[in-house]
Amino acid sequence: MIDFEEELKKYEPAIEVEQAEADIKARDLTDLTDLLFNMTNGNVQK
Amino acid sequence: MQCFRCGVEVGNEKVCYNCGADILLYKQIIYTSYVFYNQGLEKAKVHDLSGAIETLKQSLQYYKYNTRARNLLGLCYYQVGETVRALNEWVLSKNLQEDDNPYADRYLAEIENDPGLLSKLNSTIKKYNQAIEYCKAGSRDLASIQLKKVISQNPNLVRAHQLLALLYIQDKKYSDARKVLIAASKIDSNNTTTIRYIHEVKERLKEQNTGRRRKKNDVVTFADGNDTVIMSENSFRSMLDNSRSSFMNILLGLVVGLLICFFLVVPTVKSNSSDKNTKTILALNKELKQADSDNKALQNEVDELKESLSAYDDKQDVATSYDNLFAAQNSLDAGDEKSASESIQLVTKDVLGESGQRAYDSLYTKLGPTIVKGYYDDGNKFYLEENYESAITNFEKVVEIDEGYNNGAAVFLLGDCYRLTGEKESALDCFTKVVENYPNSKWGRQAKTYIAVDDTELNAAEVGE
Repeated sequence: MIDFEEELKKYEPAIEVEQAEADIKARDLTDLTDLLFNMTNGNVQK
Repeated sequence: MQCFRCGVEVGNEKVCYNCGADILLYKQIIYTSYVFYNQGLEKAKVHDLSGAIETLKQSLQYYKYNTRARNLLGLCYYQVGETVRALNEWVLSKNLQEDDNPYADRYLAEIENDPGLLSKLNSTIKKYNQAIEYCKAGSRDLASIQLKKVISQNPNLVRAHQLLALLYIQDKKYSDARKVLIAASKIDSNNTTTIRYIHEVKERLKEQNTGRRRKKNDVVTFADGNDTVIMSENSFRSMLDNSRSSFMNILLGLVVGLLICFFLVVPTVKSNSSDKNTKTILALNKELKQADSDNKALQNEVDELKESLSAYDDKQDVATSYDNLFAAQNSLDAGDEKSASESIQLVTKDVLGESGQRAYDSLYTKLGPTIVKGYYDDGNKFYLEENYESAITNFEKVVEIDEGYNNGAAVFLLGDCYRLTGEKESALDCFTKVVENYPNSKWGRQAKTYIAVDDTELNAAEVGE
């Protein structure tokens, strides 16, 4: 049984073209290699 | 390969000889990223776009420079109608790998070359967002209108399909919801939200159908030409009852018609037919009478002709009889008794005059034994040849002239011929005469045997024995 109100909450507004740049900037592009790099650097610094 | 930390060429080494970085781990991370990319590619190929998006995102979480994965992710976004997200991925892809990134170049170029496309897609996105707002504000009708517009402009926007389906479900328009969801599932086959909604719609439709079946007795729907007629069951039944009564009237009319036909038409036809038959019979009777009278006339004619023929034969016979009588006399005088007896047998005594008859009697008395012997010999000859019919003729003549000829041999043989031709009574008469007159002769004994055993089936050879 679908609860309409609850289901509706899952729908978020789509990104508009005007928001595209902001969206890109807001992206966290950190990946596992970055973490490895940071981890390795931290070890070296220690 | 270069070390991710110090940038020194490390080749296939597991650890960087320069800075000691774990190159193997780095390689494993990149390898995992490509594994996810491959999985995402497989999913995208079978239109499992949401699955592909999740997998490709994971791939990029491992290694953000996996531009293939990023380009494919953008493509998947574009395919599900998320144009701005797609654009972002391709822009990022281009930024992260400026050179040797042909896919990102091509996708971005295509969007740039069609300036109206982006604004159009952007307007659909805005409408979609507005529809969400309408929904949250409770204006489902307005939201539905907006979403229909969005879908008509951007048919690939799966989220718009899903939201519209949700509105339909809420409004209990399950068939419409199913149509929209099927369209969404064609774009993204394994989207969990779509699948969940489809299940919901199916369940609701089942419930509806069960309810309809229950209500089926209340309402009847049928097509009348181009119109669909809906009426209550009672009205339908009364209409059927009227139809039934009409049908009964037609049936009754047919029965009455048949009865009229049977009692009025059939007898007339029969009487006509019998009249015709009677006329035919009368005509045939007339013809038959005519034929009878013709037959009688012809018979009379035949009788007359026969009489005239017999008169003519008698006239003929007189001359012939005298000729034969003279021939018999001459043959006897010449001592040829056999020829004399043959000639005398050709004489018809009745046609002769008195003197002729006296001469005939005198001559016949003299030739009698020879004549009888001739018949007896002929009879014997035919008997031995098993020509019993001719033998009977000859033996009968012998018996007629002299019944006791040759101690009853002629009678016995005549009887035997009768026996052999199946005339049992005549045979028994002959045998009885033989037994009575010549009981001690061999013919008499044999005849007695036949009578005693009443076995007239013995053959001639046995008789001899």
